Amino acid sequence: MVNVEDLRNEAKRILKEEKVKYIIGYTKSQNGMMPTPAFIKESKDVDQLIWNPTCIHNLVKFLVDEKRRKHREKKPDERPVGVVVKGCDSRAIVVLLQEKFINREDVYILGVSCENGGVIDEKKLAKKLKGKTAETITQDEKGEFVISTKEGKVKVSGEEILAERCLECRANYPVIYDTLFGNKARKKVDDPFKSLDKLESLSERERWAFWKEQLSKCIRCYACRSACPMCYCDECVVDTINFAVTADTSAEEKAGKIKWIEKSPISSENFVYHMVRAMHLAGRCIDCGECERVCPLDIPLRFLNKKLEKEAKELFGYDAGFDPDEPSLVSSFKDEDPEDFIR
Amino acid sequence: MPRRLIMAEEFEPRIVAFLCKWCSSAGSDLAGVSRMQYPPNVLPITVMCSGSVSPLYIMDAFNKGADGVLVSGCHPGDCHYIKGNYYARRRIALVKKLLEFIGLEPQRFQMSWVSAAEGTKYTQIIGDFVKELKPLGPQRKLRRNQ
Repeated sequence: MVNVEDLRNEAKRILKEEKVKYIIGYTKSQNGMMPTPAFIKESKDVDQLIWNPTCIHNLVKFLVDEKRRKHREKKPDERPVGVVVKGCDSRAIVVLLQEKFINREDVYILGVSCENGGVIDEKKLAKKLKGKTAETITQDEKGEFVISTKEGKVKVSGEEILAERCLECRANYPVIYDTLFGNKARKKVDDPFKSLDKLESLSERERWAFWKEQLSKCIRCYACRSACPMCYCDECVVDTINFAVTADTSAEEKAGKIKWIEKSPISSENFVYHMVRAMHLAGRCIDCGECERVCPLDIPLRFLNKKLEKEAKELFGYDAGFDPDEPSLVSSFKDEDPEDFIR
Repeated sequence: MPRRLIMAEEFEPRIVAFLCKWCSSAGSDLAGVSRMQYPPNVLPITVMCSGSVSPLYIMDAFNKGADGVLVSGCHPGDCHYIKGNYYARRRIALVKKLLEFIGLEPQRFQMSWVSAAEGTKYTQIIGDFVKELKPLGPQRKLRRNQ
């Protein structure tokens, strides 16, 4: 188990030595047991930091915001930002480094290992507790989870409560870090793409019915886009660009502003949006599960990204977010790439 | 007369073809100037390179009512820009897998290598494509307002 005191001490040290601007971590929220992101600026506040299996957020998104903020400042503070990351989140940092969106010296990575656990799935937890409210969740030495509620303690196995992505995780400890807390032992995962099996075994018609039902629900709130650390484009394809057409607007100007996708949340437009998003995340998605978690309509968006992750692995032997020096999936090729589908 | 009526009602698929300017477009031109016969169901769009075909173009073609989409470029090693078709090969493979995953018929999206000298191959590809699309009927899955 990761000792949270170690994390606090290290945070205290780097804040005291003024090595970092501030630290992004997890803290107890005002209501319920789920934590909330914390921005710690002073060493006296480090005791607010927590680490437990409910720390599900991917805090790397805040690095993207930080870069934008820094860009706007006249005299930016050049010190790095400290960030608490899990294995999956560290892969997000690797992708951002690979794309040269951030520099290594702009970030101080406090890596925490999930060891043989991971983070919980709120929906699974709610099902398990049947209306009871959990107060704390801890993991014991055997890897079992102990949920304490007002009515007493409940012991559950990892499979019953961990997020699906944690059961398929290939990076249970951070792949990149400045300080690591916890064990550095690779968890054995038999099939990292097991959750796809059910959907892939369906017939074409059934798969269509599944996605039609799911994606028709989408209300296009773009929460998935907002929560995703990889969705950092300044101009997104779905956004309407304010463009006044006047008498002297040339044809070229109009042609340059194509409206690809309608704003209305109808099935056909939702499909284009989600497929384009999936394509943009091909070879970049590191399966942090944020899009699916924040979706107010519970659309299983993770399957789309997971499918392309699987294809990238099987067709091109590409794993996203492990090596910052590797060229990205769609900006590289090999001579032996499959072309059996080409006539 | 009844026979002609049935003929008129037969489904004619609409294919959007993204053709590379340097190879496939010239290949289709060759088929044209050589007076080769092939189905008139194709809407050719000349692009500068098959590598410049964004997945969005493909999704958008289906969204605007295409029954089939073809992306055609130069043979490996023949790209005018040295490696554009290699990038295309990778990207299109992923698009194809994604379209199949969401439940679109795999026949509706094709990729081919057609050089400027392969007018015959071009007519053959279009002929086969139309033949495969006819039994599937109109594409309504990704089409707007359906």
